[in-house]
Amino acid sequence: MARRSCFYRVILLSLFCLLSSFVMTQQQANAQQPTSNSAGTAHNDVVIRGGTILTVTHGRIENGSIYIHNGKIVAVGQNVQAPAGATVIDAAGKWVMPGIIDSHSHIALDDDVNEPTNPITPHMMMKDAFDYDDKMIYRALAGGVTTSLLLHGSANMIGGQAVVIKHKYGLGRDELLFPGAPQSIKFASGENPKRVYGTRNQLPATRMGNFEVMRASFIEAREYMRQWDEYDAKVKKGDKDPTPPKKDLKLEALADILRGKLLVQIHCYRADEFLTEMAMAKEFGYKIRAFHHALEAYKVADKIAANGVAIATWPDWWGFKYEAWDGIPWNAVISLHKGARVALKSDSEDVTRRLNQEAGKIIHYGGISEEDALKMITLNPAWIIGVDDRVGSLDAGKDADITIWNSYPLSSAALVDKVLIDGDVFFDRSLAGLGLTHTKEGQ
Amino acid sequence: MIKKLSVLFVLAAAVLAQAQAKKPAATQSTNETIVLRGGKLLTITHGVIENGVVVMQNGRITAVGAAGTAIPSGAKVIDVTGMTVYPGLIDSETHLGLTEVGADRMTNDELENSDEIMPHMHVYDAFHAETALIPVTRINGITNAIVAPGNGDTLPGQDSFIQLAGHSADEMLTVRDIAMPLNFTGRQRRNQNFDSAKFPFTRMGMAAQLRQAFLDAQDYDQKLAAYEKKKTSGDEKDKDKPATPPKRDLKLEALLPYLHREKPVVLAAEEPNDLLTALGLANEFHLKVILNHLAHSSSLLEKVAATGFPVIVGPIYEQPKESERYDAVFTLPAKMAKLGIKIAFASYDAHQARNLPYAAGYAVGFGLPPEEAMKALTINPAQMWGVDKDLGSLDVGKMGNVVVANGDPLDVKTDVKHVFIQGQEIPLVNKQTELRDQYWK
Repeated sequence: MARRSCFYRVILLSLFCLLSSFVMTQQQANAQQPTSNSAGTAHNDVVIRGGTILTVTHGRIENGSIYIHNGKIVAVGQNVQAPAGATVIDAAGKWVMPGIIDSHSHIALDDDVNEPTNPITPHMMMKDAFDYDDKMIYRALAGGVTTSLLLHGSANMIGGQAVVIKHKYGLGRDELLFPGAPQSIKFASGENPKRVYGTRNQLPATRMGNFEVMRASFIEAREYMRQWDEYDAKVKKGDKDPTPPKKDLKLEALADILRGKLLVQIHCYRADEFLTEMAMAKEFGYKIRAFHHALEAYKVADKIAANGVAIATWPDWWGFKYEAWDGIPWNAVISLHKGARVALKSDSEDVTRRLNQEAGKIIHYGGISEEDALKMITLNPAWIIGVDDRVGSLDAGKDADITIWNSYPLSSAALVDKVLIDGDVFFDRSLAGLGLTHTKEGQ
Repeated sequence: MIKKLSVLFVLAAAVLAQAQAKKPAATQSTNETIVLRGGKLLTITHGVIENGVVVMQNGRITAVGAAGTAIPSGAKVIDVTGMTVYPGLIDSETHLGLTEVGADRMTNDELENSDEIMPHMHVYDAFHAETALIPVTRINGITNAIVAPGNGDTLPGQDSFIQLAGHSADEMLTVRDIAMPLNFTGRQRRNQNFDSAKFPFTRMGMAAQLRQAFLDAQDYDQKLAAYEKKKTSGDEKDKDKPATPPKRDLKLEALLPYLHREKPVVLAAEEPNDLLTALGLANEFHLKVILNHLAHSSSLLEKVAATGFPVIVGPIYEQPKESERYDAVFTLPAKMAKLGIKIAFASYDAHQARNLPYAAGYAVGFGLPPEEAMKALTINPAQMWGVDKDLGSLDVGKMGNVVVANGDPLDVKTDVKHVFIQGQEIPLVNKQTELRDQYWK
């Protein structure tokens, strides 16, 4: 039985890898299973007319239009044709940009963010705790967020596996999961694991201990992988009665990290720790997708960039603990200039509702271009999550995840008027009550 | 334990060393006359002057006017064409100078945790003038602030009003004991564990404890008055029995200026029921009131307007209730202003006090007129705190606390280019700009 399921999984995975390498490169990762009806509702043709479009990848289009068919963007431009029967959304005098993407969020998880009972819990699956009914999904939606990476907390060096959601508030649980999104795993480092276990007089209580528990668990995972390789070789050789190793969820998850099947997202503040984390990744042969928080990234941004690691940071948080003491509001722009891919994330139930303002602050502090600022809350976080081929810009072929604003979005006073996800309107500020267009009736 | 302490000590020492590398906010005592020419002046009290002139001399504003306003000879003229010029912003609740590293207890002096009633705590006794946080805050145009103790006690102590520059704490603490927070949000209980419950455990207990404190202060006040009377009456009968004063009680003494309505209490409540209870107590003891927070009390706004009390509104980033629309709290400032309630904004923070103007900007998005938003950061708090003779607008005679920025003061993209405090230009440097300059090469 074990043999069969493992074999089956290998087939599935290789099939998946084959398919995904055909489609996109980064999808060597495990992926969230697409739901049977990923759209949730039937789509008609939709056309957004007359707004100033911020495409993110190819500049501004004044008085532009976007034609959407079956939830996908078909055309973006000044002269866009759409079928006569298409639903028209009038965006005259408004601003249109892609849905905002939050690459670090803990909403919709109630109190189940940390399993603070062991510093290594890679097998904790966020999907098992995901509270799709949480009002925060709607409040972030009202701030223009269409996709979020819901991560574990930072109590553990390896906290568990995340979920990627689309903010289709009002639909059922599985309809909120981003179909086909790669599986991310959350690592932490520094003060938080030290504090959680150190105050209980347990390992780890120091940064030495932090990295040692990781190293030890990867060595254990390697041994586990070796046992399975040995077993698989026996099977392949035609060994009549091989005994399979015991299946171990935790080691299986660690093995997936070493196999490169998970996007590694690391909570990390200090310059020296970025270097240690990257050395650890090299030692065990996995890749780091992004450093989160990353307040001292500006000190070693060239090295972070050279390793192909992105950063997901706040524009201006600092000083709330000692490892955040050297946080500066120029972190994003210095890291950008040194070649790193930079995203702005919330890590906050509050800030996730106004990430547009956070991007505006980078213009204030860094004097960077509108496009670079916009990328920090759209395309770059999409890359961190591994869905940048699907969302994060207004380009033909992408999911129609679109926000319409009453004024220039990178401003203190800009408000979201409408949010479309996969071509459906999920939030409309002009509606009474919650402004929602989908309800849970019939679920 | 010793190990732990020594770690803390080293940590604290490192932080202090870094903080002390920044001298306090030096305003140079020069008599240089400064002229800001060509900017868009947001005077707050008498409209907008395009292409205007502001003159500052001896720490004060000596002229505000249109192009052509006389420029004193020998003045340093700064061309601010295309810029916006406005009075320094006032943050109506911060913890500046009471905290350095949030998670490091040894660098925090925000709250005396041992009792709910601690009116005799004075933030000026802890105020750390050399904090790294003040230079970080003021380069975003915040020149004055209330420093308040933490809100974990019903009466956590007394606020001071500061100027974010000066040679020493004495210079920066411009009004000591300016007001007293009275927190009634249900979160001031020391102990919320039923099995080890200690008084006060409920809101009833909190209210009774607070009422008793004011009653005790009234009693103390009467004893003091009786003593004064006896001392001065010179009654022949009592000649051999000298008048004895009541034993001095710092806690009760601290409440007297508030019982005498000499100073305002800053009455914090969020839920409507808490607001009504707290207003009832304030009424019972005839307190002078500034309201604070009111995040979930939108149903009582007309009642609030009828009291005539001003309100520090926010944080508007407070989450709405489950049943409420996403913007239920964001829209509060607009709703209050519409009812004629005098509002002021606060950051309620220390590290992020620099983001004060953006909260007002967001409230503008939700319907607060921009000029009302500017007032809520300048003249309104100046009046509420009784410092409007010196602060809160670009008017002749007021202090030269003036900011120049390259756009709308409330917008996140806007960059502050000059900050003047008492007519002196403040260098736009701090711990963070030094790190920026070190690594941005």
